[in-house]
Amino acid sequence: MASHKVVVASFLLCCLAQTCYGGVLFSSLERTIDVTASPNEGQVLSVGVNKISVTWALNKTLPSGIDSTYNTIKVKLCYAPVSQRDRPWRKTEDNLSRDKTCQHNIASKPYDASNKTSQSFEWIIGLDVPTATYFVRAYAFDQNDMEVAYGQTTNEKKSTDLFEINGVTGKHTSLDISSVCFSAFSVVSLFVFFYIEKRKGKAASSVEQKVIT
Amino acid sequence: MKTEAIVREKASMEVEQPPAAGGGGGFNNGNQSSEEQKFSVPVDSENKATEFRLFSISKPHMRAFHLSWISFFSCFVSSFAAPPLLPIIRDNLNLTATDIGNAGVASVSGAVFARVAMGTACDLVGPRLASASLIFLTAPAVYFTSVINSATSYLLVRFFTGFSLATFVSTQFWMSSMFSPPVVGRANGFAGGWGNLGGGATQLIMPLVFSLIRDIGAAQFTAWRIAFFVPAFFQMLTAFSILIFGQDMPDGNFQRLKKSGEKPKDEFSKVLFHGVSNYRGWILALTYGYCFGVELTIDNIIAEYFYDRFNLKLHTAGIIAASFGLANLFSRPGGGMLSDAVSRRFGMRGRLWALWLCQTFAGVLCIILGLVGSLSVSVVVMIIFSVFVQAACGMTFGIVPFVSRRSLGVISGMTGGGGNVGAVVTQLIFFKGSRFSKERGITLMGVMIIICTLPICLIYFPQWGGMFFGPSSKKVTEEDYYLGEWNSKEQEKGSHHASMKFADNSVSERGRRLNTSTRPADESTPSPTHV
Repeated sequence: MASHKVVVASFLLCCLAQTCYGGVLFSSLERTIDVTASPNEGQVLSVGVNKISVTWALNKTLPSGIDSTYNTIKVKLCYAPVSQRDRPWRKTEDNLSRDKTCQHNIASKPYDASNKTSQSFEWIIGLDVPTATYFVRAYAFDQNDMEVAYGQTTNEKKSTDLFEINGVTGKHTSLDISSVCFSAFSVVSLFVFFYIEKRKGKAASSVEQKVIT
Repeated sequence: MKTEAIVREKASMEVEQPPAAGGGGGFNNGNQSSEEQKFSVPVDSENKATEFRLFSISKPHMRAFHLSWISFFSCFVSSFAAPPLLPIIRDNLNLTATDIGNAGVASVSGAVFARVAMGTACDLVGPRLASASLIFLTAPAVYFTSVINSATSYLLVRFFTGFSLATFVSTQFWMSSMFSPPVVGRANGFAGGWGNLGGGATQLIMPLVFSLIRDIGAAQFTAWRIAFFVPAFFQMLTAFSILIFGQDMPDGNFQRLKKSGEKPKDEFSKVLFHGVSNYRGWILALTYGYCFGVELTIDNIIAEYFYDRFNLKLHTAGIIAASFGLANLFSRPGGGMLSDAVSRRFGMRGRLWALWLCQTFAGVLCIILGLVGSLSVSVVVMIIFSVFVQAACGMTFGIVPFVSRRSLGVISGMTGGGGNVGAVVTQLIFFKGSRFSKERGITLMGVMIIICTLPICLIYFPQWGGMFFGPSSKKVTEEDYYLGEWNSKEQEKGSHHASMKFADNSVSERGRRLNTSTRPADESTPSPTHV
């Protein structure tokens, strides 16, 4: 049983090592940034065509100095719970190094604590954004590239102010036509070969008959 | 695979190919009667090769080998082309984990019945036409993968593409028709193993093709669609090659042989009856479900397992997943060769023991795989497990050719279909939904492997024995066993002659210590019929 204990111990060690290295926990972050985005609740946008304007600024009601460590602000497009359901590759985890909620980057801007005006960015929705329901979140990073604060367009439960994006299908008429043509060719070839085989069979049996007689 | 025909080893084996041999067996056998055919490898009384020369493409034996493994490889590539591209496809089609799981089950369930049907088709029209037909008819499913736009259509294309895995049966049938009993294990092992390689190779090929197309300039959601034309086209090409260059049997093609009377037409119902009434076929179907079925299950879940449990990147998890399938390069053929080697000394009883030991040990390793928690130990255990489980697959098909001669196709089909049933059942019990964590599912799968391998103890051949009993004291011969499949009317017509020849050649399954009571002592290796 000693070997079993070693295996369990090394597994636990690996898990702990993971948490040591990885990650800031989302639950440890303060929501200090006010983020607003142009889409209204329930609005449906199309990739490549529509734009999202995001505006962010430090919440004015907070005591000053709270943003002293903020170095960069990264704004991301994040999946709403309805688009995460039954999709473990978009799962929300408290450990931010393993969190997969926000997979698309909108903007990344340096933050100047002395400049209190809000910053904004207009983003044409990228072609690789899939069809889903989203919200916008901004993370504040310090000099060591660790998250220190955040802000988002929706509430704690991520149930308000969500909007939808329709992605590209990736389909093309030329692909459709090619598929049909190649498939037809495949089936027709089969019948051609069958026909040839039958003819060969007949020829062979008539030759054999001639040889016998 | 670029190979050179290594056909001239000894001057005495140098043969003249018939003058019209330009294109190969498919079209040119018109004026050649079977007695005059000479071969560049030594053959037995059925003209089956008694040597297996891996790097030769001599016709018809080795050519059949290369055609069958390459076409089977292409079917595996097509059937498992979607999993490595799932990170892109699932976003494009807005799939859920349930959709993906269902499609995974669908991809292996189509082949359950297709394999049995294929077995019968081989018995009736020959492996060449049967496999080429299936490949031509499933290629459209692969082409249409590029036009799908929903979870349902994804499931449908994977289901229909999965039918092509039935080419496994035609591969094994073809090898069993071309190669003599002492080498049939390794021929089947190499053909099956190198075909199964496709399941691993596709995890590397498809992402590569996808990134190439994307880098040329296509959008991501279009690039994966274009990428599917590659396996589809390759698959179609292999079907053309089979029909143009291949040949059903050493003596020629089914159609011609049937019409000229050399291969008597058999009755579908009789063929089916003798297949399904042979209990050994059912036992092998069950045990194959727990070596090959397990292999298919692992192909579908192992990348996700490593990704989730050890938090690897999808790319890394994919490489580990590929290595499981790539072990087929040597492990399945190794199983076939080991089966042949054991048979030389211990006969069929040796083959049965080897299979039972190998597969049971694979089950033990599977249990361990689910229990280990460190990444490197896990990878090592997985690789050793893959070697044993794939070797067991190879060994199974060292036994299948001997279960029935008349219904070889049906038995191959049942066993092959049983493999897929094992994959479906295992995925449904242990890997659907969240009842078990993946690691627990893997351990339980290992337990099930051990339990479902026990029935091998029940397989008994009266002429050779079984695991625990020797040959019957009633001195049953190979001829008695194989002729038992033909009734007296059929024997009067002479339909049973092929089975007779096979029976003579299968005497090698007695092992080195010959049962001398009914056979003259000199008949232990088949005598070559070439000059």
